[in-house]
Amino acid sequence: MFFGLSILTIIILLPLLAALVLAFVPRERGVLFHGVALVVTGVVMVLGAGLFWQFQPGAKGLQFEQSWIWVAGLDIRFHLGLDGLNSGLLFMGTLVAFAAACASWEIRERTKEFYILLLVMTGGILGAFAAQDLFFFYVFHELALIPTFLMIGIWGRGERKNYATFQITLYLVVGSLILLVGLLGLYWQAGARTFDLVELAAHLRARPIPVAAQAWIFPLLLFGFGILVSLWPFHTWAPLGYASAPTSTAMLHAGVLKKFGVYGLIRIALPMVPEGARHWLPVIAFLCLGNILYCGLVAVRQKDLNLLIGNSSVAHMGFIFLGIASGSLLGVTGAVVIMVAHGLLAALAFALSGYLHQQLGSLQMDAMSGLLRRVPFLGTVLLLTLMAGCGLPGFPNFIGESLVLFGVWKPFPLVTILAAWGALVIAAVYMLRAIRKILHGPVIEQGLALEDARNPWRKLPFALLLGALLLLGCYPRLLVDQVKPQAAAVLRLPSP
Amino acid sequence: MLCPTRRELSARLSIGAVVAAFWLSFLLWFAADLKQHGATETAFQWFSVDNLVVAFGLRLDRLSELMLLVVTGVAGAIHIYSYSYMAEDRDVPRYFASLSLFTFAMLGIVLANNFVLMFVFWELVGLSSYLLIGFWFERPAAADAGKKAFLANRIGDTGFLLGIILLWSATGSVHFGTIQQLLHEQPKLLGEMSTIIGLLIFCGAVGKSAQFPLHVWLPDAMEGPTPVSALIHAATMVAAGIFMLCRVFFVFLAEPSMPLMLAGLSGISALDVIAAIGMITALLAALMAVQQNDIKRILAYSTLSQLGLMVLAVGCRGPLPAMFHLTTHAFFKALLFLGAGAVIHAMHHEQDIWRMGGLGRKMPVTAAVFLAATLALCGLPPFSGFYSKDAILACVLKQNMVLFLAAVATSVLTAFYMFRLVFVAFAGKPRTSEAGHAHEAPALMLYPMLFLVVPSVLAGFWSVEPYLEPLFSAHAATAVKPWYEQLLAPFDEPLAAFAGLGAAGFGIFAAATLYLGAREDSLPSRWGAFARVLRNRFYIDEIYRVCITLGLDAVAAILDFFDRWILAGVIVRGLHGTVELTGRILRLFQTGNLHTYGFMFGLGVIITLWLALMR
Repeated sequence: MFFGLSILTIIILLPLLAALVLAFVPRERGVLFHGVALVVTGVVMVLGAGLFWQFQPGAKGLQFEQSWIWVAGLDIRFHLGLDGLNSGLLFMGTLVAFAAACASWEIRERTKEFYILLLVMTGGILGAFAAQDLFFFYVFHELALIPTFLMIGIWGRGERKNYATFQITLYLVVGSLILLVGLLGLYWQAGARTFDLVELAAHLRARPIPVAAQAWIFPLLLFGFGILVSLWPFHTWAPLGYASAPTSTAMLHAGVLKKFGVYGLIRIALPMVPEGARHWLPVIAFLCLGNILYCGLVAVRQKDLNLLIGNSSVAHMGFIFLGIASGSLLGVTGAVVIMVAHGLLAALAFALSGYLHQQLGSLQMDAMSGLLRRVPFLGTVLLLTLMAGCGLPGFPNFIGESLVLFGVWKPFPLVTILAAWGALVIAAVYMLRAIRKILHGPVIEQGLALEDARNPWRKLPFALLLGALLLLGCYPRLLVDQVKPQAAAVLRLPSP
Repeated sequence: MLCPTRRELSARLSIGAVVAAFWLSFLLWFAADLKQHGATETAFQWFSVDNLVVAFGLRLDRLSELMLLVVTGVAGAIHIYSYSYMAEDRDVPRYFASLSLFTFAMLGIVLANNFVLMFVFWELVGLSSYLLIGFWFERPAAADAGKKAFLANRIGDTGFLLGIILLWSATGSVHFGTIQQLLHEQPKLLGEMSTIIGLLIFCGAVGKSAQFPLHVWLPDAMEGPTPVSALIHAATMVAAGIFMLCRVFFVFLAEPSMPLMLAGLSGISALDVIAAIGMITALLAALMAVQQNDIKRILAYSTLSQLGLMVLAVGCRGPLPAMFHLTTHAFFKALLFLGAGAVIHAMHHEQDIWRMGGLGRKMPVTAAVFLAATLALCGLPPFSGFYSKDAILACVLKQNMVLFLAAVATSVLTAFYMFRLVFVAFAGKPRTSEAGHAHEAPALMLYPMLFLVVPSVLAGFWSVEPYLEPLFSAHAATAVKPWYEQLLAPFDEPLAAFAGLGAAGFGIFAAATLYLGAREDSLPSRWGAFARVLRNRFYIDEIYRVCITLGLDAVAAILDFFDRWILAGVIVRGLHGTVELTGRILRLFQTGNLHTYGFMFGLGVIITLWLALMR
């Protein structure tokens, strides 16, 4: 606590306030904007790491809580707090935000607007994950979403930029609207007259929504949230959107903001509409095979590195959905672990591809070869990133995917077999293909302007993200023990 | 290795670490009392959710001690050998870093006390193998070979992981000791899935130990540096599959049964399949080796074939002979590869045996150790290979006559192709000027080879069986025989011993008639098409390539097309079109004419009122 403010509140308000202040600074002070963004996200990252470290696993109730009445009549509160579900996500979000601010060297035009939007997006994302109030949960998400569209539209790259912007906007706005209908339906049917998530959950535990109403609320939530996370077959916006987005936007959206959808399913849909969930879980299990197998195979065919990473990121979302579909403690815990792990991984992958794009002007894999010799540092990091993407032990992705596969065997054995094939073989096929094309092969000595990240500042974002991945992968209890009790609470199981 | 500029330091660091590890293992083996058969375990919790408890636990018993000795011994020799062999390479630190990573991961497999941890190291071994096969990644062949190896392993690992999941869901544990205890108490615990579980776990070994039909990666893996081939693709990593089968042998002893769906196969146990796969691999690989000309590839196919024999032994309920052969094979096969490395080094990276010849006079020490290792591989007494191969033959003979005959045929072929290699490369006259100017290997390469000769020759004097027996059977250990009795022990089972000896003799004789002093290979003209099939490895790689191109790639291409044009194109653009069309229609009404607006406003009011009141 700091003048009555929880550190969590400071983490979320700091970027938003900084954005507000920057809006009044004349645009001639070019370097200043990047500097402020770096300092602010850096402070936020340190605070976020502190919260993650101090978090008490298994303690009752919310930690680092902040609750202010916003609209008394409707019982809307500015209510923030951490529990096992979002402590890891918040830490991951702050880390990615700082890395994204570091990785935005490529932005040369309209820097003022860019960094303001970046800060707004950061504040919105972190707010959406920390919010314990339905109203703010939704509003913070929208606050982060709109800068995404603007950033892709204005600073995006590639010929298909406009189409990509159009597609991602269309999909995500439709998704948000379906979600809004679902959330409003939930609010009215609950009849608790409060937007506070904690009270709402307690209320619904005592007096559940009638099964008939749950039967239509859950699918609205599922597809609303699902579209936001690129659930198959609503995924086509993702790869192209990321391929066209500026590096930091892709890092923040693919890494953190996209997890909002699955986070919402676990935070709201599973515990509050359990009967509806029970009917729809098998549907999720089969749709997520679309992510894992279909998008995995599509990734095999890609020639552009960014499209490959984008498709593989869609495929990884399948494992999170699979964990949710298992409805078991193992599966849901695994899903949250993958959310954190994939956030770091996706941010790292897009940071690397952004670096290569900035230097090479293109990400066609056929035009690259032997980069491991040309850029040993970046090449090694890329190799490890791609290996983490196909579930190599030592990275938390392996822990999460294993937990999910163990958890989903009992309810869906056939799906488990196919998903294991997707995780171990298909993922390895496209990742190794990328390594073979980009990093291995004869070295191109001429005509390829490329410089390794020599400057420690340039290395910093990669080192931070990779370090966090290795830490969580080698010592998974750090994360798993935080998630476990809360996942049990979501599933209404006795706390382990 | 973090210091890319300090070549010496990185090499010495990893050599020092491995040699220290070897001395510790050596002390462990001899310090432990034979009478004391218990396992020592040490563990801390790695993670646990629900009833999935995974410990970072290490288990030390006779089995892991033996493997520690093999792994650190061979790895130590090869680290030292590499110091000289790789001296001129520009990536020495990367090389030693990968080699040390491999040794670490391999020791992890050996010591792990539960399935999940073993799987973790299993994957890390796969990674380090990938990195080392593709060490010279600028060469497309090496990069492709690494990729192929990793993928073949991954296919096997999928089965392994599913097997672990099934076993866990049946027993509620992943800990070796706990599962063994549970299965001992309730042999029917696994229910109808027991055979399936056994087969899935065997899948892991099929990938890692390169058994048919996933054997295709091992010969290609010879693209890596030769010391790597010796350490990983001959002595240790490929043996990990055999070790794993022995470590979890209790799973295969569970009552075999099949789910109803596959009731027709209910007479078959997992061990039967394992024996059959082992036999197929042993025989097929030995046949392929007969027509190879690359010195490393001959050894690679020979490795495949010997691994097949070990798997066959496991399938015939003989984990002890399998472990015995694994141990001796690790030493003499590593030695063969190091000898081949010395030859390749001397021949300036020429690997075709038909471009060598007369090397015996130019490099006498290398030739002598190579011959010793060859004799061990062919199974001639008193070399170690005779004892371990005889143990396998005796074990197979007890189970099945057909398998026994196949194993004897493999022995004939083994002797034949190995002596073909020896006669062509080391005997006769030099065929090229490189062979004429070959020189003996430097001392740092010779010492490790001389070190490996000792166990290759002598390991047979001490069978490993009495040490390991208590782990696999309930009755007390048989006493360790003195070495002079052990020397003649195989002749207690005369049929197996004389069949093995006869096979080796016949093979050597055939090789001598065909190749001693030959200028070129006469088999292709004698056997015609069959020799061509052998040379092309039964066209298995080509068949796979066609299947993969037609299968996976085609599916991926169709899906990509669907994704790009139907889902993203038609539907999204369709939506786009609909929105735009609606916009255009709506624009017709936005005429900017006040009268139209007034009219439409009135119309709207009327319709609303009508809807509200009249219905």
